[in-house]
Amino acid sequence: MRKIKLLLKHAFLMISSLICLFPFYWMVVGATNLSKDITKGTLWFGAEFMNNFRAVQETADIFQAVLNTATITIVQVPLALLICSMAGYGFEKYPSKTRNKLFNVFLLTMMIPFAAIMIPLFNFVFDVGLIDTKMSVIVAALSNTFLIFFFRQSFKALPNEMIEAARIDGASEIGIFFRIAMPPMKSTFAAGFIYAFMKEWNNYLWPLLTLQSSENRTLTLFLSSISSAYYVDYGQILVSVVIATLPTILIFMTMQKHFVSGILGASK
Amino acid sequence: MKKRLGLLLATGMLSFSMILAGCGNSSKESGANGAGGASGAAETNDEAATEETQKITVWAWDDNFNVAVMKTAAEYYKKLNPDANVEIEVISNSKEDIYKKLQTGLASGGKSLPDICLIEDYSIYQYLNSYSKYFYPLNDDVDYSQFSPYKVEVMTYNDKAYGIPFDAGVTGLFYRADYLEQAGFTAADLEDITWDRFIEIGKQVEEQTGVKMTVANGTNYSSLFRTMMQSAGAWYCDSNGELTITNNEVLKESLETIKKMRDAGIILECADDSTLAGAINDGTTASVINAAWRVSTIKAEPEQSGKWAVASTPRLNNANSVNASNTGGSSWYVLDNGQDKGAIVDFLKAVYAGDIDFYSDILVNQGAVGTYLPAQEGKAYQTEDEFFGGQKVFAEFASWLPEVPSVMYGKNVPESNTAVNTALFSYLQGDITVEEALTQAEDQLKNQIQ
Repeated sequence: MRKIKLLLKHAFLMISSLICLFPFYWMVVGATNLSKDITKGTLWFGAEFMNNFRAVQETADIFQAVLNTATITIVQVPLALLICSMAGYGFEKYPSKTRNKLFNVFLLTMMIPFAAIMIPLFNFVFDVGLIDTKMSVIVAALSNTFLIFFFRQSFKALPNEMIEAARIDGASEIGIFFRIAMPPMKSTFAAGFIYAFMKEWNNYLWPLLTLQSSENRTLTLFLSSISSAYYVDYGQILVSVVIATLPTILIFMTMQKHFVSGILGASK
Repeated sequence: MKKRLGLLLATGMLSFSMILAGCGNSSKESGANGAGGASGAAETNDEAATEETQKITVWAWDDNFNVAVMKTAAEYYKKLNPDANVEIEVISNSKEDIYKKLQTGLASGGKSLPDICLIEDYSIYQYLNSYSKYFYPLNDDVDYSQFSPYKVEVMTYNDKAYGIPFDAGVTGLFYRADYLEQAGFTAADLEDITWDRFIEIGKQVEEQTGVKMTVANGTNYSSLFRTMMQSAGAWYCDSNGELTITNNEVLKESLETIKKMRDAGIILECADDSTLAGAINDGTTASVINAAWRVSTIKAEPEQSGKWAVASTPRLNNANSVNASNTGGSSWYVLDNGQDKGAIVDFLKAVYAGDIDFYSDILVNQGAVGTYLPAQEGKAYQTEDEFFGGQKVFAEFASWLPEVPSVMYGKNVPESNTAVNTALFSYLQGDITVEEALTQAEDQLKNQIQ
């Protein structure tokens, strides 16, 4: 009886994972086939990967787009993590009368859709002369309410005694943050990193509005632009999608362990 | 360990701030030049006097089609005017993305707009209606009688014409000559027919060959009923932009015709546009009704070379209906962002309203059927295409072009498409009558846009 149950459980899990993995499989298979074969429903590997790849390069500069997205992400993510973790730490570890009210205001901003603040923000970025620069994309996402909230929740698990002990020993407040508070939160930072990375790597609407020239185009804009042609070449699109997805998959694979424990709120 | 961590962080932050500083400096320059914005442009004009190269930015959305066409236009302009100090930069984004950017730029007071933007005929009215002050009228500069009248009609607002007409969505009936021959039909049997005749032929084709007569996106018939409607000079609204869906005899006949076709079983219904393309390439359909740009999908399967042919679009029984119609199409619009328009207008005039070789070039290389009427004299239009059994495909399309009835598209085309399409489905299922479907569509639309 128990064996049957176990078997059923595993069968269910395997079917579910097949369903989840199929799009990835199809993406890779599609990248190796011609567009006309993809629309006919081919499900096995073809020999056209290099041709599709060459066609993408002839259409537009995909590596420039990868480079742009990478630059923005590499600069933005560590800065956002630093700012948000410090903010979360500050909210949690420095008692004051207004901190909860202020924090509630922060949380409320999560409910304002981006579309509502888009045009004022665009006006602002234009007026300060940041339009069509990578800076405009980086700066706009430096403070992220969800990340501040996430870090604050995690810092709750950090015993105040440790901070007090460090203070008595004469450590500076900044020193306490970097030397006492940060090291045990490795998995929280890893989870935050994956979150911020994916958000920035897939960022679409804001770069679309502020980045104007072709040299500054990010990967998401590149993908969107090649998929709206009158004659859609699915082979080209899928090759580009494979290239665009690789870094996310790699990062998730290498940091998967931390991601799960970080989301569960572990703090050793 | 702790020390090393601190050191690492310190150097990390230092390098980030340096990168940031670098980004900031270079960005300011490109911001002023590249964006073509009002403030930046004013500065460059003052200092740079005459000899500076003027940069013309263009937004377009298809790298193999209109982006490539604009790049070709830039080359032609350079040949015509080797001394002109202009640099034309074409920026490619998806169509939806361009509309979002354009909308944001217009809504924030004309900031960061391109010099020239490609806009679909179905969408231009809503922009001219709300933001005509940011568009630059060209009727003093361009002779619009040289272009297809129905394209000029679309870009006229308050008696001013904006933009340069670009590609025609003139439609045709692409068919598999081999299947039709097998069923006993010649090319003459398909020329200038009605939809009723098309259905009769379709039934026989399926009987003889086992192949469905035509193909459509089974979730979205809007391209088909739009084509039918425009063939009789009708639309969702009248020439004042007032909705006329409920009592629209032409739209009613269009929907009834689609139901007749579907009930006769001659349509292969596809789940989406990619399976539709697949059906064309794997030979499971004997025809497809679409604009000239379908040629590229059809030619994607070289094994079918010589088997295709093209005939004029079938017409409705309505007395106004002709064997010519249109679906889609777009035009170039000049945006008024405070810069001097002289060079831009000169460029558009010289190439798009004057160079016949250019039109032949883009027809051959991009399959773009222009709407500049004198260009039809160009040799490319007279070329026989082996893929279509030696037929002069583009000469055919060009001959239908002047016959396409003019229609005023109004400002709610995407919403109207959805509303009518949704109601059409209830009608196709037999749940409601065609009159009820039209009323339902108009009610839904009015709720949505008010």
